[in-house]
Amino acid sequence: MIHAPRQEVLRYLGYRGMEPEGQVAALIDARTAAVEGAAVPRWTALELPLALSQTGAVLGTWEIQSQKLATHLEGCTSALLFAATLGVEVDRLIARSAAGRVAQAAVDQAAAAALIEAVCDDACHQLAGRYPGQYLRPRFSPGYGDFPLSAQPELLARLDAPRKIGLTATSAHLLAPVKSVTAVIGVAPTPGKCHAGGCATCSKENCTFRR
Amino acid sequence: MTFLDALHSRRLFCDGGTGTLLQARGLKGGELPETWNLLRPEEITAVHTAYLEAGSNILCANTFGANGLKFPAGGPFSLEEIVTAGVTLARDARAVSGREDVYIALDLGPTGKLLKPMGDLDFEEAVALYAQVVRIGAAAGADLVLIETMSDSYEAKAAVLAAKESCDLPVVVTTVYGENGKLLTGGTPASTVALLEGLGVDALGVNCGLGPAQMAPIVEELLSLTSLPLVVNPNAGLPRQEDGKTVFTVSPAEFAVHMEYLAGLGVQVLGGCCGTTPEHIKALITACKDLPWAPPAPKDRTLVSSYAQAVEIGPRPVVIGERINPTGKKRFQQALRDHDLEYVLGQAFAQEEAGAQILDVNVGLPDIDEPALLVEVTEALQGVLPLPLQLDTSDPAAMERAMRRYNGKPMLNSVSGKEESMAAIFPLVKKYGGVVVGLALDETGIPPTAEGRLAVARKIVETAARYGIPKKEIVIDPLTLTISSEPEAALVTLEAVERIGQELGVATILGVSNVSFGLPQRETVNTAFFTMALQRGLSCAILNPNSGAMMGAWRAFCALTGRDPQCAGYIAAYSGQAAQAPAPAAVLSLGDCVLRGIREGAAQAARDQLAAGAAPLELVDRVLIPALDQVGQGFEKGTLFLPQLLMSAEAAKAAFEVVQSAMAGEDRPSQGKVVLATVQGDIHDIGKNIVKVLLENYSFEVIDLGKDVPPQRVVEAACQPGVALVGLSALMTTTVVSMEETIRRLRAACPQVKVVVGGAVLTQEYADQIGAHCYAKDAMATVRFAKEVYKQ
Repeated sequence: MIHAPRQEVLRYLGYRGMEPEGQVAALIDARTAAVEGAAVPRWTALELPLALSQTGAVLGTWEIQSQKLATHLEGCTSALLFAATLGVEVDRLIARSAAGRVAQAAVDQAAAAALIEAVCDDACHQLAGRYPGQYLRPRFSPGYGDFPLSAQPELLARLDAPRKIGLTATSAHLLAPVKSVTAVIGVAPTPGKCHAGGCATCSKENCTFRR
Repeated sequence: MTFLDALHSRRLFCDGGTGTLLQARGLKGGELPETWNLLRPEEITAVHTAYLEAGSNILCANTFGANGLKFPAGGPFSLEEIVTAGVTLARDARAVSGREDVYIALDLGPTGKLLKPMGDLDFEEAVALYAQVVRIGAAAGADLVLIETMSDSYEAKAAVLAAKESCDLPVVVTTVYGENGKLLTGGTPASTVALLEGLGVDALGVNCGLGPAQMAPIVEELLSLTSLPLVVNPNAGLPRQEDGKTVFTVSPAEFAVHMEYLAGLGVQVLGGCCGTTPEHIKALITACKDLPWAPPAPKDRTLVSSYAQAVEIGPRPVVIGERINPTGKKRFQQALRDHDLEYVLGQAFAQEEAGAQILDVNVGLPDIDEPALLVEVTEALQGVLPLPLQLDTSDPAAMERAMRRYNGKPMLNSVSGKEESMAAIFPLVKKYGGVVVGLALDETGIPPTAEGRLAVARKIVETAARYGIPKKEIVIDPLTLTISSEPEAALVTLEAVERIGQELGVATILGVSNVSFGLPQRETVNTAFFTMALQRGLSCAILNPNSGAMMGAWRAFCALTGRDPQCAGYIAAYSGQAAQAPAPAAVLSLGDCVLRGIREGAAQAARDQLAAGAAPLELVDRVLIPALDQVGQGFEKGTLFLPQLLMSAEAAKAAFEVVQSAMAGEDRPSQGKVVLATVQGDIHDIGKNIVKVLLENYSFEVIDLGKDVPPQRVVEAACQPGVALVGLSALMTTTVVSMEETIRRLRAACPQVKVVVGGAVLTQEYADQIGAHCYAKDAMATVRFAKEVYKQ
């Protein structure tokens, strides 16, 4: 079973290196366990040939207009489409807490965020094992930089993600179940120079949760 | 021979995988396979022909993914042409083969969207999407509708209703189970069988997800549950990655060995799914075609279900919680009038924790739109609660609307022996499925004797049979009358319970607590009566599961009668209770309880202080608000963090509720009305919910519009008298667009109303740019702004 790292749960709750005590610590431990119990993590990936252009990247027959993505994939020989989800029961768990137990809901939310990242990291570790002698670049998700969220439906369709792992997009291109991740992952013959994903690519620099 | 005749007289064989075959013939990633019905029809025909030659009797038209979402009107392909061509190609291939034992299935897969509330596809939209395809496919000459690869019971229900409402073809449904034995959305074999049999499908089963070996335990479970022919279409094993490609590694010979085993268990229809080829199907048919065939044995099991689980009535008595009912409860009535679903959910969670297995849902109040309210409450409950529901209404229109939207097979409360009642309710049971409570009364009233009630019960069972409803779908309520007015009442009821069970073979149910009406110490009488009824064979009881004595009687009865193996349920409920130290006396003050976030302690301390003579409003102003302020300041200074802020807020809320109830109808003076909404397109509402709790603590009256709220609804709420502030939340950059639109319309329609915005991607600059009056970086900032707005 994959666990949500406690330090990450605390970071999502806004703790900056401080330790919660008493009631709060107990709540965090109990709800992390509840989220881990409700989660049915699933992921899927698909390798596609990659070509870069001036305006973006071409993955197989799919042309994505995003210079940031193209920059991110420089030096890669192919790319993986990737999707992972904790499943619908975690959403239900959070919705249930939200009906009257908002402290619990906030902790659920943080534990689920930490858990889906851990699931993705574990999946990428497994994927890396399939490419001996090559390097997987960090995950780059729709919504990062100029990689539009509107790429979500196509990315999911090409992975057959609704059928395979139950992951869908709403008409506003949000993922459902909510605690899910999609990304493009470059496969390269050399380790990349520091291509940071996540917080470093985000323009919201005063964010409470920034690493 | 029609498909149904064949289904009920011999073993049938489906075809196998299509996707891998088409990829081998050049279908590219991202290309929709159904387009080949028009672009490369010869390839589709070749696949059909290969399966016909292998011996398949059920040929799936290449329509799995054809729906109005993937082929919208005005797109490059017409849905009508795609589906018509798909069915026609299969029919033509059959004609060329000259075989007469082959049936063409209109193949319906999942829509690719999640239904509300987990996703954004409305149930009726899903029904409409499927209905569109069914009408085209039926007109093109399909012999049956095969709904397959369903991993959400709710979507499967939408597809079945669409099929049944749009054509007369037989309907077959197969669902996908994962390695945990559940659907992706949480259903079990039992909950799925309950739902699908209730909806009246012609056969059901399992496909995809697993290989034939991993499917065996699920197949065995399905065989023990269903009275319908069972369909099993596994993958060629579990998928494996080889050179970046997904491969299925079970060979035709190995596949056939496993399928022969499953056929031997009693499976009537066999075929394949992903990774299976004509060779797999040929090997399967060779192995199974001469095995003896038997029709499915009828299972006399009474099941009700939710999205997640089934409850069986019969093996041991079932407790149905009665608390979701406004009768005689002022607070509950107010919650219903205010659409305060949080309160209703709270009642549901408490009953679940107390051990109820099914919850009765009654929202009947004078002067309300009961059909709409019953649907609203049912949807709220089934979104988060795994317990099956008993829909309780005397209004057949409300019953139908709630049954249609219910994600499972409900219990229905109730029908009576009156002709009018049976004529209204039985057609609904036949269409949507449900276990219906039959009240032992008719046009002449409640018969005074057990014999008379048995006669009404018999009439109900016989009338139901004429509608095609078997007696296992009926639970008779012999009715509990009050012993204080009729001394023999309990004895008559008990005799009726026993005779209905023994002479009619029908389950029974009682609302237990009526028996003690007008007496002191009612629980004493209720508990004794309940135990007596259980001993006479009562199958279900509608009661208050928060009553320790009643639940104790039930658990003890189950343990004493061998219905609780190893007394496990009893021990789980009560062990450790005696050993528990008595709760420490409230040593903490009310203020300390709030500061430390101790909810029960805060409520108790408030009760203690009120009992000691404290004035309610004084507690609020002198204790609760200062404590909240202290926590809020700590949060803003960064010395304490969100969970603690919220736990304190909840502790304060618990104390406020105690104070409120002590104020005898008077409300705390409101600081003002605030409308809150998560904007259209956005389904992330935790931030908004946090803000709501804090605002309520500070005595603001919050009008919570929920999530995914269209601009117009925000405007309508904001234009109500007394509203001076609207709070909007959005998580994603894409939905900030709809926030901007909402603000634009608010400014046009009610320029005096201020707007505060918050959410992960927002910044001060962004908020300024979209015209908000205030950017709140966290929940406390919203509270501060609200105070400012209402001070003016």
